[in-house]
Amino acid sequence: MNEQNSQKIVNIKNKNIFNNIFNRIGAVREIIIFGLAIALFIIFFFTTKGIMFSPEALRIIFVAVSELGLVAIGITMLIISGEFDLSVGSISAMGALLAAKLYQLGLNPFLALVIALIVGIVFGGFNGFITVKFNVPSFIVTLATMIGYRGLIYVITEGVPIGFRVVDTHPAFHKFIAGELGVIPVPLIWLVIATIILMLILNFRRFGNHVYAVGGNQETARAMGINTDKTKIICFMALGMLSALVGVMRVTRVRSFHSLQGEGIALMAIAAAVIGGTLLKGGVGTVLGAVLGTLVIVLLEYGLIMSGVGAYMYNLVLGAVIIVVVILNNVIEQRRK
Amino acid sequence: MEKQPLMKATDIHKWYGKIHAVNGVSFTINRGEILGLIGDNGAGKSSLLKVLSGYHYQDKGEIFMEGEKVKITSPADARALGIETVYQERALVDSMSLARNFYMGREPVGHTGFLDKRKMAECIDVLKKIGLPINSPDYLVSNLSGGQRQGVAIGRAMYFKAKLVLLDEPVTALSVKEAHRILDLVLEFKEANISVIFITHNLQQVYDIADRFLVLDNGKKVKDIEKDATSMEELTRAVMGEINA
Repeated sequence: MNEQNSQKIVNIKNKNIFNNIFNRIGAVREIIIFGLAIALFIIFFFTTKGIMFSPEALRIIFVAVSELGLVAIGITMLIISGEFDLSVGSISAMGALLAAKLYQLGLNPFLALVIALIVGIVFGGFNGFITVKFNVPSFIVTLATMIGYRGLIYVITEGVPIGFRVVDTHPAFHKFIAGELGVIPVPLIWLVIATIILMLILNFRRFGNHVYAVGGNQETARAMGINTDKTKIICFMALGMLSALVGVMRVTRVRSFHSLQGEGIALMAIAAAVIGGTLLKGGVGTVLGAVLGTLVIVLLEYGLIMSGVGAYMYNLVLGAVIIVVVILNNVIEQRRK
Repeated sequence: MEKQPLMKATDIHKWYGKIHAVNGVSFTINRGEILGLIGDNGAGKSSLLKVLSGYHYQDKGEIFMEGEKVKITSPADARALGIETVYQERALVDSMSLARNFYMGREPVGHTGFLDKRKMAECIDVLKKIGLPINSPDYLVSNLSGGQRQGVAIGRAMYFKAKLVLLDEPVTALSVKEAHRILDLVLEFKEANISVIFITHNLQQVYDIADRFLVLDNGKKVKDIEKDATSMEELTRAVMGEINA
């Protein structure tokens, strides 16, 4: 009898381990998106006659993946919590502008970066505060702040670009945020670190449990004693910080700030999250999926361009991919139930 | 056994705008007592429940737990005082696993602040004890039936050693079979000397197991009576508003 029981327990345990692995690493969605990315690599290898795999092309691709990916993982966590942020492009530009402006005024770029990140947190937090305290849909709040923050940028710059040639004066800073470590672009390292941190938080910390709960069913989360407002505001803040980081990264890379910087990044990041299996209704999604979604988007863009098909075709194809993947996600979601 | 009061509420009022949802309700619940809180739709049962569970703070009135005056300003406060609520609709988050639901808001963590997944797997044993065999803590709760969901929420209340459990229409949406199992679990609370407030608009659901009844009508208490001193007929008339206190 006892033996039988313990046998049973072992079976259950094995099943749990299997389930765990299946849930974390091998979730169906992620496998599909990863497969899609691999397929794109192979297709574009042939259509670009191998150019796609030149070290230079790969570097460009992975820098683009890093910059979009950092925003995508932040926006994914926010969408899981049940909210939305359209203003990340403007926050990102604000971070870049601050870094450039403070550097122009003689501040050490590392210090300028810290200030830019803090401002990103504050701007993101403002979005969150207005959303939860006044009970306004975050779509509307961040539509307004997307326009407003961008307006503030134009007020400050009057549309004039600002140079940011830290590569000459502070090569260490350039290397730290936009350089290379051996053959690996540093932004990619940042993406990997940030992704691991968010994965740990979402899967293995109390806060992560609260994020999924708040987005899955806010009323239940509240009834279980979770501070739903605080949880959401923290997600907004984290996204604001990541956006500002990306802004500084980009202005360091391109060496000058333009008031248009970061426009359109919000929708691309949301697209990456959605392709990665995040449901816009909240409660469901993974940052790993968002990274893979980012990879798909960037591969499509550069693959099509390097294949000589042109940038216009890219938008058409990306639109189609988003629709197909979302339908696929719905099918998976139905099966799961 | 001598009756020991667990919770006492005096002159509770709650307004929603111009609607006086709870109008001066006072009551006491003793340890290990099952109190049937009954009334028609809109009688004020849910509003009173929301006050007791910390979802809304009362506009007037006082609550005492074990003789001490308490302020229940949030669901977290209520849970800290040992008041556990099992909601009909929002007991669990569908998109999350069993373990994540079971420990929601009270996740066990190790020294480094990471979730104690081993401890979280214990919920399986708790549920097995109450006759709910589920294999994996990673099981998605959207796959559970209505009765199983209530079972999980009740198991959670037991596990976290609630002193008072508020059940909001716990069997209304269930099949007859499942409803019976839930009622058995409610009696288990009583055996463990845990108090239960069983909220329902359907007297029959609670008549057999309750020790005492509190009838609300239009936000006011119209009856507060031991089962031995009343009858189904009398209570039904009270619910229908034919008796004034």
